[in-house]
Amino acid sequence: MANPTPGSLPYTDTKPVGSADFYFAINSTFRFILRKLGREAWIRYLQDMGRDYYAPVNRQWLTGGLPAVAGYWRAFFAAEPGGEVEVKLLPDRVELHVKVCPLIKHLRAHGRVPIPEFCQHCYHLGSARAAATGLTMRLCGGDGACTHTYALPVAQLPPQDPKQIKENAP
Amino acid sequence: MIGCYDFCGHYEWTFGWFERTGGHPLVRAYWDEAINQDSQTHARDLIKAEGIPGMLKYWGHTLLEESPELGFTISHQKDVFRIDFHQCPSRGFLLRNDLKNYSDYCDHCMGWTGPMMKSCGYQIDHEHNHRGQCWWEIRPAGTPGGHSAAGAVAGDKDARLLPNWQAPGAKLDRYVKANDPDQKTP
Repeated sequence: MANPTPGSLPYTDTKPVGSADFYFAINSTFRFILRKLGREAWIRYLQDMGRDYYAPVNRQWLTGGLPAVAGYWRAFFAAEPGGEVEVKLLPDRVELHVKVCPLIKHLRAHGRVPIPEFCQHCYHLGSARAAATGLTMRLCGGDGACTHTYALPVAQLPPQDPKQIKENAP
Repeated sequence: MIGCYDFCGHYEWTFGWFERTGGHPLVRAYWDEAINQDSQTHARDLIKAEGIPGMLKYWGHTLLEESPELGFTISHQKDVFRIDFHQCPSRGFLLRNDLKNYSDYCDHCMGWTGPMMKSCGYQIDHEHNHRGQCWWEIRPAGTPGGHSAAGAVAGDKDARLLPNWQAPGAKLDRYVKANDPDQKTP
């Protein structure tokens, strides 16, 4: 993977990569919201987070276009431990080819069970961020390997087919 | 994808979302049910089985991952386990990045460790100054003592001896023999 673009991450830490055990808490947070508040609330949580918490990223994407999107994702995955991801910048889209998802890999390696809907979070969060920046987001795959696409309107991507997002095996 | 690099940022944002959605009871339930009883079961299992040596193993590992610059010190004596944070990696991340979506981020630590320690038979004495500095003393429930004299357990690493422990703007929250995030004393 290419070196991350300096300054591509809006929130920065003093350490180069995150602590993977935090992935446990992300999975547990999703499980808690689904159990307590239901699926619609979980989707709203992710959409709200995409628009609000990620607002600084969205502003970067809005002003920097697809190169900013690609730069962000390169920096993002460089700071996540254990993943294997290729980021492709194309004329009308950015594709993330996630060969090894760091999150699913860490959960499985430690005997944690991802919630079945886990991989849908990337779609609900990513599409909210894309919508805020005039892009379209699509997701294909899941359960450890997938492809994300962030595209300009000119790409005219077909609507997201929910069946294209795999459920996570128990 | 939500990442672990900036975990403390979206974790704090999540507290605010819960508070707006279901009020304080939902935030408390999140810390206990999602973090204590689900995410951090490995901590509870270790401490329940091994007591203070289990605390040393759990926080020795997790704090080294979160704070490789060693902004913390762990010390222990018979019947007391103590951590002093001089630069909390979690609160420090929020301060450096100017993130605030919830009224008091520091409450989350007592929010999940309090119930966990109760289930393991321990109580907590604690103070934090909201500036990334705090100290914790954990003793078996019913053990005498608590709020040891400054330096008595951690020596010169005691956070209370830091020159900026009570700097202007630093508001102290204090807990005495507590297991509940709402058991703050003025």
